[in-house]
Amino acid sequence: MSPLVSLVRWCSTLAPIVFVRDSRYGMPAVQSVHLVGITVFLAAIVVLDARLAGVGMMDESLLWLERQLTPWAAGAATLVMLSGILIFLGTPSKYAHSNPFRIKMAVLGLAIAFHFGVFRRFVSADHGSHSRRGQVVVAGLSLTLWFLVGWAGRAIAFVP
Amino acid sequence: MAFAIAESTWLFPLIEGTHILALPLSVGMIVIVDLRLLGLAFQSGPASRIMKGVVRWSTPGFVVMFITGGILFMTHAGEAYGNTFFRTKLILLLLLGINAGVYQTIFYPKMAQWDLARSTPVGAKLCAGLSLIAWVSVIVCGRTMAYQL
Repeated sequence: MSPLVSLVRWCSTLAPIVFVRDSRYGMPAVQSVHLVGITVFLAAIVVLDARLAGVGMMDESLLWLERQLTPWAAGAATLVMLSGILIFLGTPSKYAHSNPFRIKMAVLGLAIAFHFGVFRRFVSADHGSHSRRGQVVVAGLSLTLWFLVGWAGRAIAFVP
Repeated sequence: MAFAIAESTWLFPLIEGTHILALPLSVGMIVIVDLRLLGLAFQSGPASRIMKGVVRWSTPGFVVMFITGGILFMTHAGEAYGNTFFRTKLILLLLLGINAGVYQTIFYPKMAQWDLARSTPVGAKLCAGLSLIAWVSVIVCGRTMAYQL
């Protein structure tokens, strides 16, 4: 057994994890935190993508919107990740063998790489240094990647 | 029709997924307005402009929410009707409607007066605070009831 698998197994036997998994409202509560975080995080992404693509919030500057939303998006993303880890550790084997979960993690990796590698560069270079078409493509890809993570997450409940 | 959806292998997940992933477009946009009114974000921008920009997206978001939510209810109407979390969710939605109506009639017409001010009227802040708490509770109730049906 690899050290990583042993570590995950050990974590899943810790009292707080077992409490969350086995108590009546433990999992619904953690899932709710996950969903509230997703709502706030994706709302920020939607606003920024709409502005980048030039289809919404055109009265505000993109850079200003990004500065205002980043603390909330970062806070929400932290909630999503922490609650996600708790959900995973409750029943690691359920997720480790789930195809949608694997896809979700792969797309999440892509989305994060795209966000910091491409999206943020486009946001910082607000003043027309990129073509309109480029901005639309980057906004579309950002939106597609983040919502794919959500759909893959939803599929865990329905697809083996 | 409701039975067909409930038993379909892909239609139910599709409708439920749409219901959940329309959250950022509906509730998420309202959260942004609430944060501005509470003075927690977008302080240097006029409140009415932020509101206008964001509500344009939340309207179709809520249309999707109510349609998919209505269909989801029909597929599990019997169990959902008696569920405490479902009932709480509906009461909260009703209160949110009243809260939004109060804001629209009392504070919205006068927004121009304090649009650029860093602080918003106490009443408007109260509406925003209630909205924020109630929307989070709606999500919690919705997610929890899914475990009980």
